[in-house]
Amino acid sequence: MFDALIRKLDMAGSLTEADHQTVRHLSLRSRQIPARQDLTCEGDRPENVHLILSGFACRYKVLPRGKRNITALMVPGDFCDLHVAILNERDHSIATMTPCMVVEIPRATIRDLTENHPRIAHAMWWATLVDEAILRERLISLAGREASRRIAHLFCELLLRLQAVGLAREDGYAIPFTQVDLADMLGLTPVHVNRVLRDLRSTGLIVLAQRRLRIPDVTRLKAYCEFNPNYLHRVPRRN
Amino acid sequence: MSRYFFDTDDGDYRSQDDEGMELPDAEAARVAAVDALPDMARDKLPDGDRRTFSVQVRDEGGAVIYTATLDLIGEWHIPRAAS
Repeated sequence: MFDALIRKLDMAGSLTEADHQTVRHLSLRSRQIPARQDLTCEGDRPENVHLILSGFACRYKVLPRGKRNITALMVPGDFCDLHVAILNERDHSIATMTPCMVVEIPRATIRDLTENHPRIAHAMWWATLVDEAILRERLISLAGREASRRIAHLFCELLLRLQAVGLAREDGYAIPFTQVDLADMLGLTPVHVNRVLRDLRSTGLIVLAQRRLRIPDVTRLKAYCEFNPNYLHRVPRRN
Repeated sequence: MSRYFFDTDDGDYRSQDDEGMELPDAEAARVAAVDALPDMARDKLPDGDRRTFSVQVRDEGGAVIYTATLDLIGEWHIPRAAS
């Protein structure tokens, strides 16, 4: 549990061994949560920050007519809601997409870490900025990329994000989403997602079988969707 | 709930659906089919002055129960050099 948290915070590049010790001595608990269950709902006044240890979760909102929009996808190692330590009311819901192991970090703990451990605060700020950059990239996809490149871009992004936490091979990963999930993530209709996946498969850009995605030629898929990984900010700033 | 299959065609690529989607009834399948047409058009247009997009819905038995078609017809009303 602590390893996942440390690995995440370490990506910012600022933590010392003393910071690792601080994290290891936090009093945290983890919970196993079934698939497709809300962790917190819009309107809640939440007390815990959630960190995903295993499984996939998403941030979503439902429009009055019932259409669900997924605005972010959380993979193992991701914080769902660091901002709840500051905000009064949740403006969106968070749900598991698959069975998830989730760590709950009390608001007071986050406050203590931010106030008394500047390097950890820096790392949490980094994580928030990367989340924002991912959201920005998603907005660009929605506004400017055709459906097949939108999907390809998401697949390239997930390859890097899952590789960073050891959950993807060089050329692929388990992909537990339904076509409806993908449609809700990418602002498309399920029928079109189905069509576009078929098209990407027919051109050999991806192989999808038994809920596993394989990318035979990663460079080719990245070139196809003009994927630039700069927004994931994997190179820490050193000075 | 029943499973419906959606075959789509934008004039360049025809996709035959062998996976299908669980939906409450035929009306929901009709809505899903029609809903996909703007997505398909958005990906292709602008490109020429003639194009037909279609979605065909099959039921579990393989019978075609509905077809939705969207046509683009672009027409000039000024003289144009032959291209």
